Amino acid sequence: MAIATQGTASNYLQRAPSPSGLADVIDLILDKGLVIDAYVRIAVIGIELITIDARIVIASVDTYLRFAEAVNRLDLTQTEAAGLAELRDGGGNGSDKAKGAFEGVKEKVSRED
Amino acid sequence: MALQSPPKPAAAELPATALYCYGITAVTAAKAQPGAGLGGEAVGTVRCGELAALVSGVPPGTVRARRRDLMTHFDVLGEAFEHGTVLPLRFGIVFDDGRTLVDEFLCPRHDELARLLRELEGLVELRVTAHYREDAILGEAVRENPRIGRLREATRGRAAGHPVMLELGELVSAEVQARTARDARALLERLRPLVRRYELDEEPIAYQLLRASFLVERKRVKTFDRALEKFASENPGRVDVKLVGPLPPHSFVELSHGGRR
Repeated sequence: MAIATQGTASNYLQRAPSPSGLADVIDLILDKGLVIDAYVRIAVIGIELITIDARIVIASVDTYLRFAEAVNRLDLTQTEAAGLAELRDGGGNGSDKAKGAFEGVKEKVSRED
Repeated sequence: MALQSPPKPAAAELPATALYCYGITAVTAAKAQPGAGLGGEAVGTVRCGELAALVSGVPPGTVRARRRDLMTHFDVLGEAFEHGTVLPLRFGIVFDDGRTLVDEFLCPRHDELARLLRELEGLVELRVTAHYREDAILGEAVRENPRIGRLREATRGRAAGHPVMLELGELVSAEVQARTARDARALLERLRPLVRRYELDEEPIAYQLLRASFLVERKRVKTFDRALEKFASENPGRVDVKLVGPLPPHSFVELSHGGRR
């Protein structure tokens, strides 16, 4: 695949000219693209599981409690220090917990190789 | 795991003539594929007029959604995309045989598909995801919303189910959502002038600022990249931004009826 973004190296933006893993494109492959009517079989095992598992929706008491606990766990002095370190070092590269958790799910559901 | 549960009996009913279809490209852009398709089957084309459907045989048994199968689907389209515009099909579409594909899909839809190919000429899909770092966004909520700050102090050491905890969580959730909406709007305002179309993914996922696909002219990919880079550089340690692509236009193919979804 053509690397159109070559030569613009950066610490801030994570680039993947072609997908670095399934997590990058699973939505596209499963949810997007042409779907055709009547004369087609959709003969896939596991699709329902994947799409359901991959969707973590924020909309419940559970979520509120998780937010509350996360905020209570938060060490503000530490996050401020970390924020400064990030600024000084020119940003970090993607070890975000929420994202990690989500991609983890995707990796899990499709791990079967 | 669950995905490996016994194959449904119906899956075995695929005829030996069955063809798995990856996508549609122009006959003039259809080149031999160096790599194999699903289950190692060779990738070829079935044609009607200007159109070539990229197909392969179906491996014995059935089509399964394993990691390598999903990536194979994607790779076949990516390879075709090197040589011209391609209309991706969703994963898992199988026709009984080549005749059915031609008579029931490719020829009846010829003009519409050919028009879609022309419309998408020179355009690529760029996929953007942006996530807050949990500690950074929660830290902002606590520091900048006095009610959250106070409630946080008041609830330290409380049991998880305490009503005050619910109140705190609801406030934090609302604060995170408000920030998400604000930041997403700001980011979209920068990117919108650079793209033909865009599509936001609907389902919200914790700490996700944006997950979206953008349809961009190939020659503007660099400009788009720079705009996104600038946003990322203004939010170091706060937002992680990822750009995937250029990709075939998975999110921007639609037929008039019997099309997407």
